Amino acid sequence: MNGYWIAKRWFDVLSKDIETPTRKASSTARSLNISQRNEAHAFWQMRGRIVRCLIYQSLGQSRFRLVLFAILSGLLWGGMFWLAFDGFHFLRTAITDPVAFGGTVRSLFAVFFVGLLLMLAFSSAVLLHGFLFRAPDLTFLLTAPARIERIFLHKFQEAVFFSSWAFLLLATPMLLAYGIVESAPWYYYAMMPAFLIAFTYIPAGVAAIACLLVAYRLPRGRVLLMVVVGTLVTVVSIWLLFDAFSSTRSDLFTSGWFKDVLLRLRLSNHQLLPSWWLSSGLIESAQGGWNESVLFLSLIISNALLLRQLAVFTAARVYRRAFSELHVRRSTTLAGKTIWFDRLLLKCRPIPARFRVLLLKDFRIFRRDTVQWAQFLVFFMLLVVYFLNIRRFSEGVNHPGWLNMIGLMNVAVVGLIISTLTTRFIFPMVSLEAQRFWIMGLMPLKRKTVPWSIFLFAALGSILPCGILLALSDFMLDVPTVIRGIHQLIGVLLCLGLSGIAVGLGARMPVLTQQSTSRIAAGFGGTLNLVLSAVYIMAMVLLVAVPSHFYHMAHATSLTEVLASHTNVLVWLHFWLIAGSAASIVLAAVATYWPMRIGTQAFEKMEL
Amino acid sequence: MIQLEDVTRTYGQKVAVDSLNLSIPPGELFAFLGPNGAGKTTTIKMIVGLLRPTRGTVQVCGINIADNVRRVASMLGYVPDEPVPYGKLTGREFLEFVAQMREMTSKAIAAAIERETQNLRLDEFLDALTESYSHGMRQRLCLASALLHNPRVLVVDEPTVGLDPRSVRMVKDLLKERAAAGTTIFMSTHTLPIAEEIADRIGIVDHGRLNFFGTRQEVVHQMQARGLTLERFFLDITEGHGPKVPHIVQNKSHKIENRA
Repeated sequence: MNGYWIAKRWFDVLSKDIETPTRKASSTARSLNISQRNEAHAFWQMRGRIVRCLIYQSLGQSRFRLVLFAILSGLLWGGMFWLAFDGFHFLRTAITDPVAFGGTVRSLFAVFFVGLLLMLAFSSAVLLHGFLFRAPDLTFLLTAPARIERIFLHKFQEAVFFSSWAFLLLATPMLLAYGIVESAPWYYYAMMPAFLIAFTYIPAGVAAIACLLVAYRLPRGRVLLMVVVGTLVTVVSIWLLFDAFSSTRSDLFTSGWFKDVLLRLRLSNHQLLPSWWLSSGLIESAQGGWNESVLFLSLIISNALLLRQLAVFTAARVYRRAFSELHVRRSTTLAGKTIWFDRLLLKCRPIPARFRVLLLKDFRIFRRDTVQWAQFLVFFMLLVVYFLNIRRFSEGVNHPGWLNMIGLMNVAVVGLIISTLTTRFIFPMVSLEAQRFWIMGLMPLKRKTVPWSIFLFAALGSILPCGILLALSDFMLDVPTVIRGIHQLIGVLLCLGLSGIAVGLGARMPVLTQQSTSRIAAGFGGTLNLVLSAVYIMAMVLLVAVPSHFYHMAHATSLTEVLASHTNVLVWLHFWLIAGSAASIVLAAVATYWPMRIGTQAFEKMEL
Repeated sequence: MIQLEDVTRTYGQKVAVDSLNLSIPPGELFAFLGPNGAGKTTTIKMIVGLLRPTRGTVQVCGINIADNVRRVASMLGYVPDEPVPYGKLTGREFLEFVAQMREMTSKAIAAAIERETQNLRLDEFLDALTESYSHGMRQRLCLASALLHNPRVLVVDEPTVGLDPRSVRMVKDLLKERAAAGTTIFMSTHTLPIAEEIADRIGIVDHGRLNFFGTRQEVVHQMQARGLTLERFFLDITEGHGPKVPHIVQNKSHKIENRA
């Protein structure tokens, strides 16, 4: 209702504007007479009203969510600030030479911002594609008497905002911490927002031009292309990063290692990169070189404005045609395309027949949803790259206790990645299923079959990749077979628990008004799911990691002899290890069953 | 076949359906009319078991739906007003999925899909992903999915909205054929001529209360007696000027004598 009212009001503003003395008969001609200022005003007024409505709605209906969101964001920001402050403080004390310190910070900033530059470009392209070609208000906007450039700008600004908030959340604590450690002057803090905002426009501008041209020239397969390019760029960047920081020597954090790293990072320090302008401008500003800093700021702003203008210029020429091309493309026909996996799944007799059919449906939807499998693939490949490089970091580490500890940290990392995927894709699945309740609700089956089948899909889908990743990590660390077994067991328990939490919460807190999985996941339920998943992973790993670490340390050659006379200690450590493992199994059972029970009960009572 | 006894459904303070009594015998095509927000969709959702009545009972095929939704579901087909199938499945995969969930045999599935593909002319787009379907295509696909298992009761919410004239004709013929073959059909619609053309009996609901309930002949008789068009008759009833006929509503054993 609000949306309708706002749109109507907006249309009224435009209509009022075109009722000028120069009014002409045709709408096309009339649209040309709308002053750009009034048009921009109407769009900003509409945006202002929507934001105000959203704020009132959130304050009125979901104050608790808002408060929790603010607290969690604050905690994250605070954690980042503390980490950055400690890091810069360490560097400040470790590197006494101011020039060397400046160079190190410059290299760090360059790597950080070049990474964010790539991520911003990719996320802006993905968001813009949705905003420019799939948004529900486009039918209204594209038939309203508004300039195509204005419509594009409206969507472009939205994409910049949505793609850059995470960038600001990550960058501001680090830059503030640096400013404090460096005792930066006031204008460093004053110029920081201008630097950051102008910088976000550069990758967004490039992404917008690429998005428009790809949609115009390659209406079919554009998402796949974006995914492939994004995956390649991310994997190559991460590989280069590992290559830069890794060392086969055991002289980590020595001056030789620093020099080596700085040499390898020279690519990210290229002076034509906007990330270099940003890091140089900020460092100059922090060190009192305000004139140099203003020069870099001007350089970034002028490039940002140029790219914005180029994007608007491109949009004026191709946006409408690209929109048309996309919406008249031939639909995908899949006659007789039943792949071997589908046939195999339907023949898996141990799984009940209806579960098999539901699983087949979910696997088909998953593999045809490029966004889902691409995100899965990106995370999977990142971890593969990390695990393949892990030995470079831990060359001198051979003690089973430490290897076990690194292995368990890898288990936690894999768990965290799986939790982001369950939050992003599994949590919203129940909401999407509930929106299609006319299908499942009318089937002659128990309602709880639906959440349980989603749980099975999530668990089966995550156990195998999780197992492969942990096997790779353990292979690279060359840990003993027993530890490999323990890691695999924890991996399975993590997958079960994370699936249970995601499905259970998804069924207990369904979002029935959103079709977009990302928006469902970004809501309160999704955030809570992510937090609970992280707590569960930490608890699981700590329950096993702490006793097993002490157990392995105690069994080290030198220590065993010392402890041989203290039989009680060894027995106690053994008991602790068994108790910790048993407790982790109990915790996994609770984390799987309890949310599922709450979720299925809610699902059974659901009315739509 | 469908029996509603004193059914009331509230949403907070708002009464969506108010003490509704209805009895639809087997093989009858019943048209449920009413303005927007009158309580049609809420009534339909209670009949198919997606909503529970706040008060009263709903029976389908003699079974109280609150007691055994699964059994009723096996005898029922339902098409909502805005059906959205799984976008990443093709129409054929969707139909196969629905049939497999109803535990039909492979042979029966193939035959049923072939039959409904012919009846609803789905063959042109059956192997395309349903996300690319127009509203009319989706409507026809979902109607096919509801008919695959030859349900004894078919409940359709606004079946002709968004369909082209040829498809409307097709759906009307299909519903009439099904009713003639013994399927009980409960159809809500805004399109008065469709109700007038194919329904055996018509109910008009407004503000959650049933204001008229009678056979098509009774409608025609009342219209002629008062010199009204169907549209004027409907408007009068929903504006509160029409003949409230609780005696007809309460007469649950009322049978149709002149079936079309």
